[in-house]
This record gives sequence, C-alpha cells and structure tokens, in this order.
Amino acid sequence: MNLPLLKLMLKINMKGVSNYAFGSAFYIVIMFWLYPGIADNSGALNDLLASMPDGLVSAFNIQGGFGSMEAFISGEYYGLILPILLSIFTIMVSTGLMARLVDQGSMAYLLSTPTSRRRIAMTQASVLAFGLLMILLITTAAGYLGYFWFIGDRYEFDSSRFLLMNTVALALFIAIGGISFLVSSVANDEKKALGLSGAIVFGMFGLDMLGKISENVEWLRFASLFALYQPSEIASGGGNPLLSSAILLAVGIVAFAAGIVSFSKRDLPL
Amino acid sequence: MLIVDGLTKHFEGGKGITDVSFTVNQGEVFGFLGPNGAGKSTTIRHIMGFMKPDKGHVSIKGLDSWSKHSEVQKLIGYLPGEIAFIEGMNGKEFLTFLADMQGVDSSVKRARLIERLQFDASTPIRKMSKGMKQKVGIVAAFMHDPELIILDEPTSGLDPLMQQTFIELVLEEKAKGTTFLMSSHSFTEIERTCDRAAIIKEGRVVALNNMHELQSMQRKLVVIVFERNDDAKQFALTSGLPIVSQGDSRVTIAVQGNYNELIRRCANFEIRSIDVTAQNLEDIFMHYYDQKENAL
Repeated sequence: MNLPLLKLMLKINMKGVSNYAFGSAFYIVIMFWLYPGIADNSGALNDLLASMPDGLVSAFNIQGGFGSMEAFISGEYYGLILPILLSIFTIMVSTGLMARLVDQGSMAYLLSTPTSRRRIAMTQASVLAFGLLMILLITTAAGYLGYFWFIGDRYEFDSSRFLLMNTVALALFIAIGGISFLVSSVANDEKKALGLSGAIVFGMFGLDMLGKISENVEWLRFASLFALYQPSEIASGGGNPLLSSAILLAVGIVAFAAGIVSFSKRDLPL
Repeated sequence: MLIVDGLTKHFEGGKGITDVSFTVNQGEVFGFLGPNGAGKSTTIRHIMGFMKPDKGHVSIKGLDSWSKHSEVQKLIGYLPGEIAFIEGMNGKEFLTFLADMQGVDSSVKRARLIERLQFDASTPIRKMSKGMKQKVGIVAAFMHDPELIILDEPTSGLDPLMQQTFIELVLEEKAKGTTFLMSSHSFTEIERTCDRAAIIKEGRVVALNNMHELQSMQRKLVVIVFERNDDAKQFALTSGLPIVSQGDSRVTIAVQGNYNELIRRCANFEIRSIDVTAQNLEDIFMHYYDQKENAL
C-alpha cells in the first residue's frame, strides 16, 4: 500500500462511489416504502407469478414471491438491478484504476517514484474493493433504515437472511472485481480493457439468466459466477450462502493477486 | 553512474533496439540523438525499468534498473516524452502529490522552479497547453534533487526564450554534480548542453563521440548569394568544395569541418548574403552514416 496514492485515488473515486451508493440506498428505501401496499395484495400477485412460465420467473430472480419483505427485496432489487449497477461500477472503476493510467501514460509518473509496481497495483486493487464495500454497506444500512421507517413489526422480515444476501453480493463482486482488475492490469488499451471486462461480466450474467430460463441449457450456469449468487433462495432460507461466499471470495483473491503479479512483471508501453 | 550494456529488445513488427551500449559518467550531460522512431524512448523506458530487456541490462549506480526498479527511482528524476498527468488535478496538486510519492520535502525548490519557468501552477491540467505541461514536467523531474535526471525530448513545446531558461537550468544543475541523459532529435539542442552524445539509428547506436568530434563531423548546408551571377558560376567551377545545388547567383555548399577553406574561397567574391539552413539529423550526419554503411 502507498498512502499518498491511496488518498489520491480515494479522492478521485469517492464521487463515483457515493453516487452509486446513494443511488442504491435511495432505491432500496423506495422498495421498502412500497412494500406495505404490495404485501396487502400479495395473494393476487403470487397468483400472477404462478401463472407465468417458471423459467422466466427464476431468470429474473422473482420466484421468492411477495410473501415476505426479504423475498420481495430479493426479487425486486437484489435479483436484477443491484447486480447490473454493481457490474457497471466494477467494470468502470477497475478499468480506470489500471488500464486507463497505462493507456494515457500517467502510470509513468507513479512508477518514477520509489514505489514498487506491486504496491501500486495493491493500492489500486484496495480502492476498488473499498468502493464495493462502501456501496454495499450503505445499501445494507439503507435497508435497515427503510425497515424501521416503513415496516416495523407489521410485516415479516428476516434480518439475518437480508444480511446474508448482502454478504453474498459483496463476495460476488469481489470475485467479479478481481477478474476485471486482472483484465485491466494486463491491458495496454483502456477501451479494450473496458470491452473485455464488460463482455466477461455481462456474458456471465447472461449465461446465468439463460441457464435459468430453460432446463435444457442449465449447464450454461456452471460457467457463470452469478450462479453462486441466488438471492431468492437465500430469502427463502435455502441454498448454501456461506459456501458460495467462501468460493466467491477465494476466486476474487486469486484474481486480484494474479492481476497484481502480472502487472509487476510485464512490459509497460509508457 | 549509468551503464547501458548490450540492451536488446524486439517488438512484433520488427521494430526495437539492438545491442545498445553506452555509459554516462557522474556529473556528465549525455545526449541521446536520433530521428523519430529510432529507439530513443524505448531505450529510456528500459532505463526507467518499464520494460524488461530481451538481452543486456541497464544499471544505475550498480543497481539493475529492472529488478531493483523501485530503489533506482530514488536516484532519478524523469521527464517522459509524452507527458500525461493524472486527470482532475491542477499543476500544484499534482506536484504536491508527486513530492509525497517521492518522499522528499521539495517545496522550496519547487516554488523556485515554478517562478523560474513562469507558469501558473494552479491551472487545471486539462486546460494546460503543451508547453505548460512540459514546464510542470520539468519541475517534477528537477524538484527532488535527484542524482540522475533523464529527459525525453525536454524542450518540445517550449518557446525559444524558455528553451534558453531550460538550458541554464541544466547547466546550473550540472555544476552541482547532477548527471543528465537527454534525448533529442535536434542536434542544436544537444550541442549547447552536452559533453558527449550517442547517435542512434534504426535501433542501433551508430556513433558515440564527444561533442567536439560530433561538431566537426556535422554536415551543414551553406547557401551563398553572390552579387553577380558570373561570380556564382566562377565560384562553383573553381572552389573545389562540394556543391549541392546552384542557380543564378545562389550556390549551396555542403560543409563538414572545413570552414576555413570556405571562408578563404568566398573572400575573393562580392557576397550578398550567407545562410546556414536547418536540416534534420540524417542530413546533418549523412556523410557519417554513409561511411558506416559502406564499411559494413
């Protein structure tokens, strides 16, 4: 870690982090606010879900139904909007932290100071991890805030399942962050890095969705990290969220380490 | 101070550098001359430890610049050929950040340099002109009093007056014992500051000489305009000097070290004006390059 660099990078990225964090917090509070109105009609809505094709329902992660708060939020936020939001954040920030500096040439200045490449890459990686942690912490906190404001004791809410959902989401994006960071660390061209991480991340997201729509192509999901993140299962108390988190974190750590090592060993066109 | 030994690096597409070797002694200003694309920046990237050589090595004060790159940086001040600062900062913020990274309190010298180069350091970087960025880059390379300063095309973008200030700056630092490596595609720029220079062409060092030798090898085109057309013809026929071109009252002669002879020949005629034309590096050392090629 390099303190001046860490301070600067946090300052540069803080605006983006807080935009995503507050956007996410705002959305989740709105969802909690909407829930009481929906919960009163949950019977009718669950019938509607039952009438839709199973594949479609599970592809959008809404199979949890509307019976409980965490089931509702798992479908309406954690299933689709949050992963997309965090994917965009991860791809943009990881590209900005490494590939952009190499492409533009400002990396030359960082490397002309007595700091090893490894430390520079570690600092940049920690900025990405810190940003993801901040966004999810603020989102989780906003969830609790929404709960106290709008739900109280009137409706069912399993707080530990909600926390687990956030934990697996964080682990998933540490893994995805690691992969985009690795791409960004070996790229000389900012646009190529952006394109490649975008293709990988949204490709995996798409594979998971396709795999869920049809049982014939369910094997597609094995190629996707998103398969380990099933918020609706967690909401209904199923799945193995702790194992999933552990696997995702391990993938993330290996990918970050690979990014740091390959950056410190490669030729830089600066 | 700096030893470049047998440095070889090939890129896809056949470009690269082959067996580049030279030594820069303590307190010396060393010029690194070559046309665009000859391999100057590639060599400098190896010296900075940005690239791993295929063969050979670079050492600075005995430290290998690839394997010990972070230790080596303590000794170096660097001005990149293409300057890129971190976005969203102004000049002052960037320099302060860099000083923190360098781990040296250089605020006094930084302020002096900014005053010397006359620019407003609080200008946001994205609004800076090429010359202004160059000035920020020069401050960044000099401010922490490094032992070795590596400058890649330092005067590009600077106006002639600033180029003069820059040269003074280099000579002052040299007097304090600082070592310099300076790349350029312009001979005149190198001529005024350097003790020795290497000429690189197509990735190979073709000449390594002290400045006096290089000056005498230098080929200049002198355009002489005579008062009378007849004189021009007469001169061209009898002077025995290599005539490059001739028209009406104008004769262009290639001179290489033999200035005295030129003056003596000219003295017999009425002359209206004399011009020395600017030339690119290949032309200046054409004769020399030719000899090399013939010898091979």
